[in-house]
Amino acid sequence: MSGAPALEVDLRITVGRGAAAFSVEARFSLPSGVLVLFGSSGAGKTVTLRAIAGLLRPARGSVQLAGEALFDWMRGVCVPAERRRIGYVPQDQALFPHLDVLGNVVFGLPRAERKKPGAATLALLDELGLTALREARVDALSGGERQRVALARALAAEPRLLLLDEPLSALDRPSRLAIGRSLREALARRSLPAVLVTHDAEEAAAFGDVFVRFERGKPAREMPREVVLGEGAPCPHCGKP
Amino acid sequence: MESSASFPILLSLRVAGLALLFVGPIGLAVALLQARFRYRLRGLVDALVLLPLVLPPSVVGYCLVVVFGRRGLVGRMLEEGIGLRLVFSPAGAALASAVVALPILVKTAQPSIEAVPSQLEDVARTLGLRPWEVILRVTLPLAWRGVLAALVLGFARAIGEFGATLMLAGNIPGRTNTMPVEIFSAFQEGDDARAGLYVAVLSAISVVVVLVAGLLGPREGRATA
Repeated sequence: MSGAPALEVDLRITVGRGAAAFSVEARFSLPSGVLVLFGSSGAGKTVTLRAIAGLLRPARGSVQLAGEALFDWMRGVCVPAERRRIGYVPQDQALFPHLDVLGNVVFGLPRAERKKPGAATLALLDELGLTALREARVDALSGGERQRVALARALAAEPRLLLLDEPLSALDRPSRLAIGRSLREALARRSLPAVLVTHDAEEAAAFGDVFVRFERGKPAREMPREVVLGEGAPCPHCGKP
Repeated sequence: MESSASFPILLSLRVAGLALLFVGPIGLAVALLQARFRYRLRGLVDALVLLPLVLPPSVVGYCLVVVFGRRGLVGRMLEEGIGLRLVFSPAGAALASAVVALPILVKTAQPSIEAVPSQLEDVARTLGLRPWEVILRVTLPLAWRGVLAALVLGFARAIGEFGATLMLAGNIPGRTNTMPVEIFSAFQEGDDARAGLYVAVLSAISVVVVLVAGLLGPREGRATA
């Protein structure tokens, strides 16, 4: 393993045009494990996630994955999204409605592997409890099942980093716990670093190794766990815990 | 030369088919461009695409003759370069049909492409697909109804083209007398039976097209996301 951190981000992103434009500044570094982007909606968490994936072009800054520059404004580097090998699970999962569960999972694989799924694909379906659902239509799935399919689809392409946008927030409590466990195990088994967006403190605490707080109009920075989650930190106004 | 009654029907089908072969890919490319990209000249392209719909057919025909005629810049290049003369030829009729079919093609295909959630295309890219692969494996499979409706309507518009065709390709029996042109000649000659035949054929094609396009149209309660 090289000495470089799994992910290093230092970005300024401008979104929209004219009066509706706003900009997001974020600087953080993840040695390994899960980085949590925490904060209320509209603070730029999803935008930051999309910039790391290469789906939008930042105004300036840099993104480095295990020491490799994916984006470097100063040097004019911008690796296109399809060559970054970064898995992306958006908030609404964005499953392909014209394909069944298996078709979604193998979507990013080479043609031969799509026609006849190999051992790795079957193992992945099994790992995420999707074997029985492999021929199901995706619009017939429950929220938890959709999340498993989206996760399997991203993992099948063997990403170097996984981006998860509010992966658990739309789920009821039992499936939240179950999917949360599957997700943690899947990441640990592969030593796969991940960036997870959430506005839920409990979710952040359950997953995070490094925490970055997003607030509208303020630069996003790494924060100690207690400060981000408000755990046991003294109240800034009255000094009480 | 006396041409058989079936000649204009077959000629019209060939001309409209050729026009669609030519303008179909162009129209889809423009629809994709307009649906998915916000660029500086987007409004201008939008206006240019709509122009053949608004301009009188004789004006479109005149412009085509100026550009593609024997003394036109492009016309001269085509004739000297590859020996293709568009004036008074079926190829000219196809060109005129293609130009007038472009607006309906683009404007029918574009909304169905816009209705494909761009989030799906984003995910496809993160899974390693290049932009053209995303179009083939995500955008078009999800927008196929609108794209097919666009091609069908474009074909109907192409097969019915009269004004611009007459200007560029003329009305040469056995060569460029497509059905719409033939209806006009027959009418002028007082040959109601001949005119009526092509009127019936073109009307039948139009009815079928409208029905097919209706079947392909947006369905109530059908989720696109």
